[in-house]
Amino acid sequence: MAEKMELRDIEVWDGNMAASQAMRQVQIDVVAAYPITPSTPIVENYGSFLANGYVDGEFVMVESEHAAMSGCIGASAAGGRVATATSSQGFALMVETLYQASGMRLPVILNVVNRALAAPLNVNGDHSDMYLGRDSGWIQFDAYNPQNAYDLNFIAFRVAEDHEVRLPAMVHQDGFLTSHTAQGVHTLDDDTAYSFVGDFKPMNDMLDLDHPVTHGVQTEEDWHFEHKARQHHDLMTKVFPRIQAAFDAFEKLTGRKYNIVETYNTDDADAVVVCMGTAVETAVEVSNELREEGKKVGVIGIRVIRPWPYDQLLDALKGIKAIGALDRSSPNGTFGMLYNELAGTVVNGDEKKVLTNYVYGLGGRDLLKSQLREIYAELLANAEAGKPTTPLQQLIGVRGPKISFH
Amino acid sequence: MSEMKKIKNLKEFSTSADRFEGANLLCPGCAHSIIVREILNATNDDLILSASTGCLEVCTAVYPYTSWDASWIHIGFENGSTAVAGAEAMYKALKRKGRLKQPDREPKFVSFAGDGASYDIGFQWISGCFERGHNIMHVVLDNEVYANTGGQRSSSTPIGSSTTTAPAGRVSYGEKQNKKDMLAIMAAHGAPYVAQVAPNKWKDMIKKIQHGFAVEGPVFINAMSACTTEWKFLPEDTIAISDLATDSLVFPLYEIIDGTKLNITYRPKNVIPVKDYLGAQGRFKHLFKPENKHVLDEWQKRVDEKWEYLQRREEAGV
Amino acid sequence: MIDNGWDEFEIGAMLRSFDGAVKDIATTLQEDRPYSKNNSFTASVADWRIEKPVFNKDYCIDCQFCWIYCPDISIISRDKKMVGIDYDHCKGCAICVEVCPTNPKSLLMFEEKMDEDEALAGWPEKENKEK
Ligand SMILES: Cc1ncc(C[n+]2csc(CCOP(=O)(O)OP(=O)(O)O)c2C)c(N)n1
Ligand code: SF4
Ligand code: SF4
Ligand code: SF4
Ligand SMILES: [Mg+2]
Repeated sequence: MAEKMELRDIEVWDGNMAASQAMRQVQIDVVAAYPITPSTPIVENYGSFLANGYVDGEFVMVESEHAAMSGCIGASAAGGRVATATSSQGFALMVETLYQASGMRLPVILNVVNRALAAPLNVNGDHSDMYLGRDSGWIQFDAYNPQNAYDLNFIAFRVAEDHEVRLPAMVHQDGFLTSHTAQGVHTLDDDTAYSFVGDFKPMNDMLDLDHPVTHGVQTEEDWHFEHKARQHHDLMTKVFPRIQAAFDAFEKLTGRKYNIVETYNTDDADAVVVCMGTAVETAVEVSNELREEGKKVGVIGIRVIRPWPYDQLLDALKGIKAIGALDRSSPNGTFGMLYNELAGTVVNGDEKKVLTNYVYGLGGRDLLKSQLREIYAELLANAEAGKPTTPLQQLIGVRGPKISFH
Repeated sequence: MSEMKKIKNLKEFSTSADRFEGANLLCPGCAHSIIVREILNATNDDLILSASTGCLEVCTAVYPYTSWDASWIHIGFENGSTAVAGAEAMYKALKRKGRLKQPDREPKFVSFAGDGASYDIGFQWISGCFERGHNIMHVVLDNEVYANTGGQRSSSTPIGSSTTTAPAGRVSYGEKQNKKDMLAIMAAHGAPYVAQVAPNKWKDMIKKIQHGFAVEGPVFINAMSACTTEWKFLPEDTIAISDLATDSLVFPLYEIIDGTKLNITYRPKNVIPVKDYLGAQGRFKHLFKPENKHVLDEWQKRVDEKWEYLQRREEAGV
Repeated sequence: MIDNGWDEFEIGAMLRSFDGAVKDIATTLQEDRPYSKNNSFTASVADWRIEKPVFNKDYCIDCQFCWIYCPDISIISRDKKMVGIDYDHCKGCAICVEVCPTNPKSLLMFEEKMDEDEALAGWPEKENKEK
């Protein structure tokens, strides 16, 4: 039996510690992992929990991230609770196996501490790795601070392992800005945390020796489409009700309320920015300040990136005239992901909305409050004019001549 | 520890109930399935299996059919070893936590992979599994080529073989590199048991597999798998070609215990010339042109030297 | 099965080898196993064959070479005796014929359409092997 850890009601934890503590509390059976900045401390913390008797599962320090996810897939198919953590190049190395985990419907939990992708090499946070995973068939949650990183891990295990869902899930947090910034985190005691997620319930487990099972078959044009359609269908229809139920139960337990789409100051807003990660918190601060100046601006934070919260966004965007989609990943030849997905979301609505795209913060570049104020000013001008008053895509905070497109 | 299955002779062995099924899609005469049968039939213990992408995998789990009567997983080309190592880790965890559904049964964990999946793309994964000491058996179905994708070279392809990516041509005799010595590499990992086997020598194979199942820790088995399609011989000759391979000492049968102690396990009564083995296969046909005689000589020289080396190692007990 | 729609199968393209629970499958013979419809045992590759092996038990010494070297689990041996060929799974590779040590052989290849009795009736005599 693993020893229990006494926690204070509020611990001063960074995002990495918050994630590792949640992983400890849900009593994972197998963690197969490989270190990479800035997610390394998750793996190190977990190793120290093990070394001190707080973990009684297996901890397999493999030789690469590809092997980490491969080991997780084998362990998950064998029938038990499985999780790991990674960032950036490590995430990129895992990509092949991400599709295999989701295609086999294995509920692996992956903490992704977001970091830029080389070249050039960079250890700081942006959302390139997160975007790279968006077609991989995983559920993707986004944390904006260490508290979220802690809480969303419990939600992720509970949803992913649900037999109606059986899909892997990522919990994202911003490299360094969240992962290495200590804040007060409200904790759950070990028993409460564990029982929120509950015992792992095996399904199609290889270790059930009386029921041999084959995982990872070959399908060609005669079957492949049906299997992919099934997975897509389940992502589109089965996941949100379970996430909502988990959010409700979590609020009842802790008083902390999460929403699939988070909204701040949006009720009567003319203009909003839509963003993810720590940018949400900065934007909320700026919008609060602007509200005091009488400007009707708000913030929409995406909490669940996959499945894409189409209905929830349509709802949140009601009445809003101008939207700034803030993408923290180089689109490399098109609009940012958020811009494109938001365009797809609002294009068939009755309301005319002006949508523009801002690319910011690549490689850990700070998003300044002054920049957000400028963005809001532009968005309000768009709202007023009923059409774009700026180029559709602008890169902000980059040295040299102003850079924008369309 | 579960009891070892008693297999005194072939008659007794033939009472085994196969856990690998027919109507798979392997070519007629494919040695992969002969090897798989011999290995699975060597034990009555429960099995947790994996296969890396390759002929065995794509031919035995084509939806909606499976040819496996034990739990089986395929993830990708490179990571079958780690797939089964992950399952083994889960077994250990659930055992410790008292959550195994059949706690009194001890399954064996076996990963099957081609030479491409083992010598090349999956090398790092296997090395990792062995360094960490998982209680698994990794079996290479060594047909010295990427058969599943149509016959490209691998680092197991021997010198002079014509493959689609290193074909013999007007100015080339085909593969220039010699086969990688995976057994030495795996023994250098300090693995408790490393062995080369061939399906035609079934008794030697069974003994080694049972030894492998009995030891704790990672076991590496390199199984010669004569491929009718890529080696270019008639399906009915799979066993005959295998006999030529073992009797010419092209595939010497030996084992390495605890990373060091080498034993030769088969000494042909009449060692036959290597060219008899080469001449029976289309992949080496061009070597019999006069201008390629030096390759035939080179082949015989290498086989002789290797045999000499193995004998010296055995004698020295290291 | 073949016409199943996307909502009519197990998630993850998972396949079961058997219907219900099995114990000691390693000691349960094929005829006693509850194979599921997804087990390839229930399928046939008979149409792969151009020639088929025919078994003549008159000469058989039950050495089991054919059993061990058949790649396709198509030599049926029970109680240490060779009893016949599983024509659903035999691919006609002729390995069994090659390895059969008797003289004449107890297994020979015949055209797929050939009647078994006819094949047995025309079985060759013992061959004098000159050395
Ligand atoms: C990452 C990746 N690269 C390449 C392939 C294509 N591929 C599939 S099987 C194979 C060759 C298999 O060769 P081997 O491992 O020797 O097995 P065999 O088919 O010869 O038994 C290749 C190149 C793949 N499936 N995945
Ligand atoms: S190509 Fe070779 S290895 Fe592949 S199924 Fe055919 S005979 Fe077997
Ligand atoms: S012909 Fe080949 S497949 Fe058929 S029984 Fe003989 S060895 Fe088996
Ligand atoms: S190989 Fe020939 S003699 Fe031996 S069991 Fe088979 S049929 Fe009988
Ligand atoms: Mg091969």
